[in-house]
Amino acid sequence: MAHGINLFPLFLSLKVAGTATVIAIIAGLPIAYYLSRSNNKLTDAIDTLLTLPIVLPPTVLGYYLLVAFGRSSTIGAYLEETFNIMIVFTPAGAVMAASIAAAPFLIKSARSAFSEIEGDIINAAKLLGRTNVNIFFTVLIPLAWRGILSGVILTFARALGDFGTTLMVSGSIPNYTTTMPIAIYDALQAGDKPLTNVLVLIMTGVAVICLFSLNRLEKKMGKGRKKIA
Amino acid sequence: MLEVQIEKSLHSFHLTSSFSVGNEIFGIIGPSGCGKSMTLQCIAGLQTPSSGKIILNERTLFDSNNKVNVSPQSRKIGYVFQNYALFPHLTVEKNISFGIRHLPAYKDQVHEMIKRVKLTGLENRFPHELSGGQQQRVALARTLVTKPELLLLDEPFSALDPHIKSQLEQGLIDMIHENYQGAILYITHNLEEAYKLCNRILVYENGKVVQVGGKEEVVNNPANITVAKIAGCTNFLPVHVTKQSEGKLQLLSQNGMELVIPETIRLGNQQMIAGVHSYRLKLEKNPTGKMNTLPCQIKGMVQGITFMAVQVICKGHQLEIKVPYDEWEKLKAETSSEWYVHIPAEHLFLVPAA
Repeated sequence: MAHGINLFPLFLSLKVAGTATVIAIIAGLPIAYYLSRSNNKLTDAIDTLLTLPIVLPPTVLGYYLLVAFGRSSTIGAYLEETFNIMIVFTPAGAVMAASIAAAPFLIKSARSAFSEIEGDIINAAKLLGRTNVNIFFTVLIPLAWRGILSGVILTFARALGDFGTTLMVSGSIPNYTTTMPIAIYDALQAGDKPLTNVLVLIMTGVAVICLFSLNRLEKKMGKGRKKIA
Repeated sequence: MLEVQIEKSLHSFHLTSSFSVGNEIFGIIGPSGCGKSMTLQCIAGLQTPSSGKIILNERTLFDSNNKVNVSPQSRKIGYVFQNYALFPHLTVEKNISFGIRHLPAYKDQVHEMIKRVKLTGLENRFPHELSGGQQQRVALARTLVTKPELLLLDEPFSALDPHIKSQLEQGLIDMIHENYQGAILYITHNLEEAYKLCNRILVYENGKVVQVGGKEEVVNNPANITVAKIAGCTNFLPVHVTKQSEGKLQLLSQNGMELVIPETIRLGNQQMIAGVHSYRLKLEKNPTGKMNTLPCQIKGMVQGITFMAVQVICKGHQLEIKVPYDEWEKLKAETSSEWYVHIPAEHLFLVPAA
């Protein structure tokens, strides 16, 4: 059956979702930490802004990204001139769309994991001479890793499944920007039922694996908490 | 030697504090929210005072005028937190080595310290597998192994059961003295604990220092009614001075009770409150003719473990007297139905009327 099926969308989707997850981790963990340790108007504003991608229709989010990063926008022009990165109708655009749509899941999950860490544990590490960066890697990440990991899985799943935002930003150029969800839509539009079925089954399989590992992780997390307390 | 002179405003709370500590155990007591923990956090660098100075062994840690604010990492201060704040993901050994892992021979020092605080055999346990007392020793070892110049103890016994607490108190202090020479700040809301373990005591009330002094002075001659209450005093009589002669003061209470006390330095306005600890009062059957012996009626009694707490009414004032049981048995055996209370003049103290 594999004969004749183009697996490019699957690999592109995995690559896009993987890259988006890495970006979400790098950018999201410091933000999550900041949000977990302070509680003021600025925190509330950032929190609202970060929740928007979850609530907004993907097309609306995609449109904002087009306006912000299109070739005629300041940021878009800067990226193109300086780094030769083009966002619109490119895989890079798909990565950006997936990152923005999915990162809030990581940030929310990591934030609550960080807030569970007692402030005095961080204070103790400081008084024992460790720098903030060192504390982040030797105390915060090890204590919050379960929450972070469940955020990572959710983020990866969300990035993998993104349809609307990606379509708005990077379009559907076969063998270039067509990700799995878009390929499924295209296959259905073209009346190719067998291809649609196979693609849908693959996506469902990936989603089941993600959710199953998430559930296992949450069970472990519950146990871990009791152990620490 | 630690010198602290700081002010800190946070929302509606204002802390003003000034004291200096030598190589001693210095107790800081007061009700919760009075500024004790804030003081420790300012000294440790976890909070920045609004203004003032903190100097430790001639090192300026904080000086608002010269914009000095040393980071907590470089202050060389040991801090034992209220709940010990052990790293839950690290073993006993790794908890203790956390502050000295960058040193070449850190493992030897850690093992030496584990021996000294009697944690041998527990090196590979995690904090949640330890008893409260063991956790406390890990917290202490973790900070002492870094050779701090100042040790801060924030209610180190509040996380433990009371019966364990009394067993561990002296052990903790001995362990500290064997491994550390320097100033110790000991925070507690319990005066008895501070009295047992500290040399001098500072009392806070609403962010202000109300008394600093030797522990006997704080208990026997409290600066105001709050300190007296913290010191466990329950007997207060509103009085004014009627006569002052030959080193003695004559007092007259609201209800006409006459008392004599040795003249004290702390004599301000005429309206005062006389206080006396309940364990200083003597309940008697026969008037002995001693000064300040007055007839009274028994109103009620509560059984304590080591004493009978007797409530008496004397000239319309209610007084509590703690009578040891052997004395109580003797008193009950006497035939006379009259009761007298003797208020020893040397144990009466005067505080300003609130």
